[in-house]
Formats: sequence, C-alpha cells, structure tokens
Amino acid sequence: MPAKNFLGIFVNEAKLNPNLGTFSYMLHRLTGIALAIYLIMHTWVLSSAQISGEAFDDRLAMVQTPFFHVLEYLLVAVVFMHMINGLRIIIADFFGATRKHKLLFWIGLIIFIVMMVWFGTSMIPRIFDHSHDAAQALGVLP
Amino acid sequence: MQAYHSTYSTFTWLAQRITALFLVYFLFTHIDFNHLIQWAQGEYGWTGLIDFSFVRARLQSGSVFWMIFYFLFIPVCVFHAMNGLWGIIADYRPSPRLGKFLQVVLILIGLALTYFGASTMINLFQIGTGGTNAG
Repeated sequence: MPAKNFLGIFVNEAKLNPNLGTFSYMLHRLTGIALAIYLIMHTWVLSSAQISGEAFDDRLAMVQTPFFHVLEYLLVAVVFMHMINGLRIIIADFFGATRKHKLLFWIGLIIFIVMMVWFGTSMIPRIFDHSHDAAQALGVLP
Repeated sequence: MQAYHSTYSTFTWLAQRITALFLVYFLFTHIDFNHLIQWAQGEYGWTGLIDFSFVRARLQSGSVFWMIFYFLFIPVCVFHAMNGLWGIIADYRPSPRLGKFLQVVLILIGLALTYFGASTMINLFQIGTGGTNAG
C-alpha cells in the first residue's frame, strides 16, 4: 500500500478493531514517532556545546521556561507510555502472555500513574519555580 | 513475496527488544541525572538554571562511568529510534525501491545523530583538545 495512505490505514484499523490492543498499538506508534522527533531536537539543542559555552547556555536557557517545563513533564509522560507499553509487548512476546495483554495493559496503566505522580512531585513544582528569572537575566526571554 | 522478511527482519525485531531493555535502564538514569536536576540544588555551583559549567561539572564528577554510559546510550538510543521508524515504514509495505531509499535516509539520519551526539559528549567530557572554555 502506498505510504500516502498512512493516516487512512491508521484510522481504518481503529474503526475495524476498536479494542484495547489497537489503542495501545496506535499509542505506541505515535509516542515512538514523537520521541524520534524529540531525539533530533534534543541533539540540536545540546550540540551547541560544540560552538561555545555561551551558545550552550543560551539554548539551554531558551528551553528552561515554565512553558518548556510543562512540555518536559509531557515528554516524561510520553517516555513512560512508550517504555511501559514496550515492556508489555516484550512480556507478551517472550513469555507467551499474549492472551493476558489486556490485563498487562491495566497493570501498566497503574504503573504509569504511579510513575507520573512520583516524577510529578519534583517536576510540577519546577514549572512554578524561578528558573525563568535566570533566563530573563541572560536576556533570552523578553 | 515481499522484499522484507526472513532472517534480516528477525534480527531487527530481536534487536529492537534487546535495545529496549537497555533503554529502560539508560533512560531512568538519564532522566534522573539531567531532568530532575533540581534535586542537585546546592551542588556543582547550581544557580537555578542548567548551564554549560553545571553540566560539565556533573558529567565529569562520575569520571569514566558517565563516559561509558553515554557512549553506549547514544548509539543504542539512535538505533532503537531509526529501527522503530523503519518498522513503521515496513508495515505499510513500500515498494522495494522506496523501501531501500527510506532505509538509506534512516541510516544517514542515524549516523548524523550518533556523530553529533557523540561529538557533543566528547566536548562536554573535554576529551582531547575538543573542549571550549566554560561560558
């Protein structure tokens, strides 16, 4: 099938098989693509270390604002979705647990919520702290 | 017969799972070390903002451990990402010609990411003479 039908096939699969497995397959695929794109942006931001210390500081200050700290928390959510769902796939593949995949999904969801609360205790206050004051002092923010 | 099957795709399928298990460990350590950074308050000249000298001081504090960690982490992570994207593309059965082309594109992106990632780490670890002075 031609690649231009990507979205069409994607939506069609959800229509034909509107079950938990399809939902987690879509979730895994979308989070995977998002993380691949993030990997490129992450490398771009950090590779400024090769230009100069100042360039590195400027780019890092740019991504240490309340807005980006919200995105960072969402990033962690995407990482854990992909990680927990991936582990579920590995368990199903290697331990003959295919028939238990729905149970594994709900266990994974509980682990995900626990992880997000745990990371939230340190990442959510970060959104409201004064790190952006330092960014303003550097003249990176208006 | 499709162009993509048999031993080659079995290898990449298995490699995706093996690298995934590595990444579980790598990512926890990496996120804990670099994104929950406010736990490091008061350490290494923390000013409320992650900056060049802070990252450098932290990375170099673990000496060889962080070097081994990141020089393994980068290629494993990049491989997992590119192999994953290839898995998605292969699912939509591109023609052998388009498939080969996209494989080459993914390999080139992967090599570029590994190169930029590794050379950045060489700079941050100040290996050789590649290091610039802290800003």
